[in-house]
Amino acid sequence: MLEGSMKALNFRSLIIFSAFLRVFLIVYGEWQDTHMEVRYTDVDYLVFSDAAALIVSGKSPYKRSTYRYSPLIAFLLTPNSFIHQSWGKFLFSASDLLVGCFIRKILKLRGVPENLCIYSVIVWLFNPFTFTIGTRGNCEPIVCAIILWVIICLMKGNLFQGAIWYGVVVHMRIYPIIYALPIVIILDPSHFKPNKKPIITNWNSKHPKTHLTLGPTKSFNPFSRSRILFSLTSASVFFLFTGIFFYLYEWEFLHEALLYHLTRTDPRHNFSIYFYHIYLNYERQFSVLEKLVSFLPQLMVQLLLVFRFAHDFSFCFFVQTVAFVAFNKVITAQYFVWFFCLLPLILPWTKMKLKWEGVFCVSFWIGAQLHWLFWGYMLEFKGKQVFLQLWAASLLFFAANTYVMITIILRHTYSPVFNLSQKTK
Amino acid sequence: MEFHLKLGIVLSLLVGIIDSTHSSSYSSELGSHRYITEAYFHKHNTIIDQVFQDFITNNLPHDSCEMLQTKHNFIPKLSLLGRNLIGEGSHRRLTSSIKIKIHQEISSNLPSLSCKAIVIERLPSGVFADPFELQHLTQRGVFTDASAFGDTDLESPTIRANRSIIEIHMDLNPKNNNWELKIQLPLHARYAPLGEYGYTRIEFGSPDLFLQCTIEGDPHNKSCLISTNDNDVSLTSSNVASILWEVPSGIMEHTKIVSMITFISAFVSAFSIFIACVYYPNTESYINFKQS
Repeated sequence: MLEGSMKALNFRSLIIFSAFLRVFLIVYGEWQDTHMEVRYTDVDYLVFSDAAALIVSGKSPYKRSTYRYSPLIAFLLTPNSFIHQSWGKFLFSASDLLVGCFIRKILKLRGVPENLCIYSVIVWLFNPFTFTIGTRGNCEPIVCAIILWVIICLMKGNLFQGAIWYGVVVHMRIYPIIYALPIVIILDPSHFKPNKKPIITNWNSKHPKTHLTLGPTKSFNPFSRSRILFSLTSASVFFLFTGIFFYLYEWEFLHEALLYHLTRTDPRHNFSIYFYHIYLNYERQFSVLEKLVSFLPQLMVQLLLVFRFAHDFSFCFFVQTVAFVAFNKVITAQYFVWFFCLLPLILPWTKMKLKWEGVFCVSFWIGAQLHWLFWGYMLEFKGKQVFLQLWAASLLFFAANTYVMITIILRHTYSPVFNLSQKTK
Repeated sequence: MEFHLKLGIVLSLLVGIIDSTHSSSYSSELGSHRYITEAYFHKHNTIIDQVFQDFITNNLPHDSCEMLQTKHNFIPKLSLLGRNLIGEGSHRRLTSSIKIKIHQEISSNLPSLSCKAIVIERLPSGVFADPFELQHLTQRGVFTDASAFGDTDLESPTIRANRSIIEIHMDLNPKNNNWELKIQLPLHARYAPLGEYGYTRIEFGSPDLFLQCTIEGDPHNKSCLISTNDNDVSLTSSNVASILWEVPSGIMEHTKIVSMITFISAFVSAFSIFIACVYYPNTESYINFKQS
């Protein structure tokens, strides 16, 4: 009892300390914005705020150029105009803390011991990428929180609510559509029976010696009750939001919030291996064949990972997201948060030791990124013609992503979230 | 082209009455536009230097400056002392030093004036100013007013973008009659068209300078314009060298090799992940893991 309350206190202290750190950073950010030439606040936050102010004055948020998000985000930030300009930063940082709570909740549901839960939560809460991204006013923590909540809903067998939030998050950010296939696969009728919660495999239990389940089972029924319920609900929510905002803001909304992200080919330098190829070919139109060929590796890897790991869906989501970002045509640092929020969910199942394999993976990944940033700096801030070196640095970073992903896969202990032995009963 | 020849500085004196409705608007020919450039874009869609010059010459009010000019012999002297491009890389600052002088003896006879300098930069293709950055600088009091017109898309590369114009307004201290301004305009390079040598040259033209003054308490609601084309305005520009910005550009020769290696890398990585998944140990390791 006492031990339990001590652990809860530990977790509470962690959250309180994290909250203070975030409040401090938001206040510091205000100071830096007013006193220094270089702003602490993310440029996107100013865009959100302007879009929210437009909504308050009854106008379309898309009148603010470069606002390329769902109007939902601008709606959430309307208090920026009448409460305080930092409202959104507090909202995003609160979501960031919520992600910490959800990570613990998911790990608890899977029977992970408290000390491992705490270590995993620390990996999220004290990751410099994440606490700066929320306090600088980036909306990704909200997306992360919703995705983790969807995972919780699935684990608790609350499919209707999970489907609603899944529809919302795909509407907000599109990329979580990559989780649709593994979700459909895990919604097996043997796990999801009416009025019964699915049985979750305990972290500590002796797992039945079964072979790796590859994607859908032989008796896969795409029209099972759980699959139809989830698919129809999430699709309805997605189309409902899309319909409402199309009615309100017409084509501007479709172009900026949806089509732009689907067709985006940015010729400016970014972490993607494709950036220089896109720049060099920007003056002509890409043929359909070229577009397909460039999408093929992404598609192949996504399908492969889904069919291999779908039943261990926290892990599946993680590797899918790492691969999606690595193979994407545009990569910016904020995309890393998409998989950072899933990383703590796989740590209790890894056999990778921090000494020295873990350290090597982290160093290789960060080193390759710093190396890229050096050439990016030479190009952007020194005006040197280093496109070739920068592209080579993108290739090295891509190699680091691939290496780390493969190492994580090989060191992972496959553990289906739902107890597969149920099927045999 | 020599800078001073290109320097088609127009000095305009726009006089109006300060009251609640007309405090900062131009004459009826410019409508109620706050910016001269705004009025230009009301009539034209694109930036053509000659068309812009003609617009300034023909559309700004010319005929009602008699009171200041004849009664008070008001002839300000406007000098562009220097231009410079500060910084390296894709984000630089274009500085312009401007000197405006009204002769002491003349100025003492003048009615009370409040004046502001207006600088119009017609940016060459390949560079742009971020309208939101200008707004931020205005909020911080660096400029009285500033705005960007034309193609202000921040993301388009040069081949997909049109030119833009920046208009900056700076209030002048009414206690002085000798002002020296140093204006720093933050600029950003667009992604340059592909080339053979790796750099694209961008050459800056001259800015258009204006002086807008308002007589306080004038019972007549009049406005006027004096330009450098008029004989009675003094203008000098010296020490102003041509400004060049070399922007790195992609080299066309790289196209084939870059595309080939990019796709090979993507497929090799995808294949490695495939192999890793194929050789991924089965669940036996789970038990070993728990036992260890």
